[in-house]
Amino acid sequence: MTYVLNRLLSVILTLFLITLVTFAVTNILPGDVAMMIMGTQSNPEALEGLRQSLGLNDPLIMQYGNWVGGLLTGDWGTSLIFKKPIAELLAQKAVASAIIVVMSMTIALTLAVPLGVWAAVHRDRWQDTVSSSTSLLGVSLPDFFWGIVMILVFARWLGWFPSSGIVEPSEDFLGSLRYAFLPSLALGLGLMAHLTRMTRSTMTGILGQEFIRVARAKGLTERTVVWRYALANAIGPVITIAGLQIGYLFGSIIVMESLFGYTGMGWLTYQALLNRDLPLIQATVFVIAAVVMITNLLVDLLYVLIDPRVKLG
Amino acid sequence: MKRREFLLNSTAVMGGSILMGTFAGPALAQETPVSGGTLIWGHSETTQNLDMHQTGTASSGRVLQNIHSSIVTVDKDLNVIPGLAESFEVAPDGLTYTFKLRPNVKFHNGATMTSADVKYSFERCKDPATGAVNFEVFNNVAAIETPDDLTVVIKMSAVNAPFLSRLAENGAGVVMPVDSGPTQGTNPMGAGPFKFVSYEVGTVVKMARFDDYWEGPAYLDAVEAREITEPTTRLTGLRTGELHMINDIPLDRVGELEADATLQVKKWFPLNFDFINMNHTYEPFQNSKVRIAFDMIIDKEALMQGALWGQGATTASPSFPTSASYNKDLVQRKQDIEGAKALLAEAGYPEGSLNIVFKATTNYPYHIETAQILVEWFKMAGVNLTIEQLTWADWLSQCWVDKDYQMTMMNFFTLWEPDFLYYSVWNSEGAFNYRAVKDPKIDELTKQARITVDDVARADIYKQVQQQIFDEAHDVLLWFRNGTIGAQTKVMGLDTVVHPNGSNLNFHKVWLSA
Amino acid sequence: MKRFKTTKGLIGIVLLTLIALIAIVGPMVIPPDAATKMDMLARRSPPTWTHLLGTDQLGRDMLYRVILGARTSLEIAVSAVVMSVVLGLPLGLVSGYFGGWVDNVLMRLVDTLLAFPALLLALSISAVLGPNVQNTIIAIGVAFTPYLARIIRGEALKVAQMPYVEAARASGTTDGMIMMRHVLPNIMPAVIVQATISLAFAILAEAGLSFLGLGTQPPAASWGLMIQASRDQLDVAPWTALVPGAAVALTVLGLNMFGDVLRDILDPKSK
Repeated sequence: MTYVLNRLLSVILTLFLITLVTFAVTNILPGDVAMMIMGTQSNPEALEGLRQSLGLNDPLIMQYGNWVGGLLTGDWGTSLIFKKPIAELLAQKAVASAIIVVMSMTIALTLAVPLGVWAAVHRDRWQDTVSSSTSLLGVSLPDFFWGIVMILVFARWLGWFPSSGIVEPSEDFLGSLRYAFLPSLALGLGLMAHLTRMTRSTMTGILGQEFIRVARAKGLTERTVVWRYALANAIGPVITIAGLQIGYLFGSIIVMESLFGYTGMGWLTYQALLNRDLPLIQATVFVIAAVVMITNLLVDLLYVLIDPRVKLG
Repeated sequence: MKRREFLLNSTAVMGGSILMGTFAGPALAQETPVSGGTLIWGHSETTQNLDMHQTGTASSGRVLQNIHSSIVTVDKDLNVIPGLAESFEVAPDGLTYTFKLRPNVKFHNGATMTSADVKYSFERCKDPATGAVNFEVFNNVAAIETPDDLTVVIKMSAVNAPFLSRLAENGAGVVMPVDSGPTQGTNPMGAGPFKFVSYEVGTVVKMARFDDYWEGPAYLDAVEAREITEPTTRLTGLRTGELHMINDIPLDRVGELEADATLQVKKWFPLNFDFINMNHTYEPFQNSKVRIAFDMIIDKEALMQGALWGQGATTASPSFPTSASYNKDLVQRKQDIEGAKALLAEAGYPEGSLNIVFKATTNYPYHIETAQILVEWFKMAGVNLTIEQLTWADWLSQCWVDKDYQMTMMNFFTLWEPDFLYYSVWNSEGAFNYRAVKDPKIDELTKQARITVDDVARADIYKQVQQQIFDEAHDVLLWFRNGTIGAQTKVMGLDTVVHPNGSNLNFHKVWLSA
Repeated sequence: MKRFKTTKGLIGIVLLTLIALIAIVGPMVIPPDAATKMDMLARRSPPTWTHLLGTDQLGRDMLYRVILGARTSLEIAVSAVVMSVVLGLPLGLVSGYFGGWVDNVLMRLVDTLLAFPALLLALSISAVLGPNVQNTIIAIGVAFTPYLARIIRGEALKVAQMPYVEAARASGTTDGMIMMRHVLPNIMPAVIVQATISLAFAILAEAGLSFLGLGTQPPAASWGLMIQASRDQLDVAPWTALVPGAAVALTVLGLNMFGDVLRDILDPKSK
């Protein structure tokens, strides 16, 4: 219990660190949103006017204070480029991204775990090579490559899925899944390689252990030994890696969401960054960081539950 | 190439009967437009703030153009013509403008437009607190008077010859209902052909026909502007039929779409001009010989074919090609590497002594291609060019605001109003003079043009300005780039969709055949 | 079985040697401007006898570009991974070995970095330091560090609880000695595996960064830049993606085969 409390406390501490780092980094970025709004129509006088009206001229400490204060009181401010309340934007976009994250992770695990187990069982034989080559294919080319291939194959040639766009899950849940599928598949292929490797290597280790030999000696079928006994023990590290990948996923969705016109959190973050919309950058980065942290926390807790060898610190 | 064309023709003949069938429908229907249908438009950019006054980006303007109407506008020859004002008059001293408004113009909220709305809109735009992009249009405005409901009188404190033209341009002349300002950003409202319905950030803007539009209702029931920024994805959407129409076909793909009988391509000219910039505060570029030599290194036609895939036309003048001030006598310098080398040596920069960083923004992929081709030519002339790619934000802050660069390039939507163009970009005090050009002759000429009321004399002054820019090679003018729209063959009336200024789209007269 | 393993390792070594050879010898044999020479009459030419692997959108020979790009890509990838190992190894080792508050503090730091979108980091670096190869290495190296640190920490944590480490501790060996003698050798297999995977990711990360303008600056060639440039022409000129893609894929495959065998040799558990 103290472990859980400690971890929770450290999550809060880290979130605070993140607000500091984010604020510092975003303020280092040259240029501002006023310049982005006006583009090549801007002149010094007009820029100054716009800055004033956007409140960009407030002292930094005040801006930081206002922001953190707002975070705590639930007032997340207004996006400077979209002129919409940030909380409203986030609520809408977070759901869309959650769908993609969950779906791509599911796809990756569904493909990676059997492939990895298969490779471990037939270690150093042709199956092993097939497994590692297949999974490597996904990671040998960047996500957007697979994204474009998916669009060409499944949208343009086969016509099974829409080439781009997004549907609100509240309007049409199945439809929203249809729009999310291709980007998730492309992301899943990228995630798969790492997970397959991890499954293979942990499974290999476990299959060589004493209790597996005992189980085999007892006359249990190979299928039961592998899928019931060995996998149950191997799943811990695999989940750890999967959890760590969540952070990586939030990096990848930025490109993938833009490619598919699937405008979720990744897209929103990217727009915020490109347009120097500081309040929006800070909010999106904070939310993504919080999600990643909480996932990591859950993974750690899960790991402790699954693997009793790890002592509680 | 010949062979490919031949093949295309023979295919067309072979499939002739079927093609005739598909062609006959729209051809007949063209004479009688039908109402109805929703146009699905694959828009190349993300719409940002929906407040017309606060929007500088072409992307938002392209959409909002359909929601708003302007007090005056321009015809295809860029003459200022009536819009919401049925007539206008400028006093001989150039200090008083009188607008007679059209009666019974309705806003989307049902209210009738009066002079109070005009006064409100212009004062809102002028007020620095609004953060309007075009506020300086009203800089010389001393007072806006409304003697009656349909008359607006604007009093100027000083002559501002381009005032009317600037009103006709994007944004400044738009009329909004009184007190609608605070909600314009989320619920834009005006007197345009389409009413705003909804906007899902980054996804889609929905608009519906406004039946009481003063020029008569549009044909389309609705327009859905789906925002698809990825060019390949946009193209696929058009091909799969998910989209009726897309704007901004990738330059390298225009030929491919033109060869496709199931699609139509609408091109117009010019969308914008491009020029290569040399920072006049950087020592080598203070010498006009170096600038002229750099101009001589560049083969503009080959560069246009290379970077634009032929989708443009080279020009030595940035004036709108159909405008009176376009100087037709200017001819771009021919590529002459040896001559350039000699000139550089004469200026004190022998082969191998110049190392120049060229900053190009990834916001315009063809700028990167241009830069790569330039590197090769400059190498031949003994100049070492290094490319630095910058995001749009970085380009703006480094090149535009801080003037921290040696060489770069940029494009401008054709600023057809010559004062706006030449004063802003080439006068030493111009707001867009990010190259720090300081040429007394240009300064003098552009000032003189501002107070020259005679149109012919004024155009002549601008021709001299162009001559001077060219002679001194202050910048290297490259080309006018084409604008493009790709659409299904059933989308009709595309000829009317592009605003004469070349950058805005208006769907008032567009319709869908069955 | 043993034979197979040797063969696999051999293939991996041969692949890697070949690629390394190409990266080293290529620039010596091929004229330096071969990768940037444009043929405007043969843009996006599919493979022909004059251009064995086709040309790109500016009519540049893909074969020359992929060969000359090898060096740039590998240099960036190797330097970035070395950087992340140099930064991540001590972090993870100390954190995992000591545990307790040291672990807590260091891991909070790592968590902060992990949760922070790498894109923001890359954008800041390119905006503040400028886009070039050196800064690309820094961006990738820093972005990869927390991943490595976390994995190494996990391994070190396990090893630190092994009986022989406790025995060493009981016998009064200093912590530094234990870490160097017992913990480090035992976590090396994991570090190597992670590093091989990271190498592949680093090559791809460069492609991602050129999307933002960071990374190798055109017209120079690198695999990442080539893949990035293929983005808008994949459907009309697939070879522009396949050529650099195959180069990356073969490298990744070689690294993995080699890494597997290395791991089997180094990892005492699997003997």
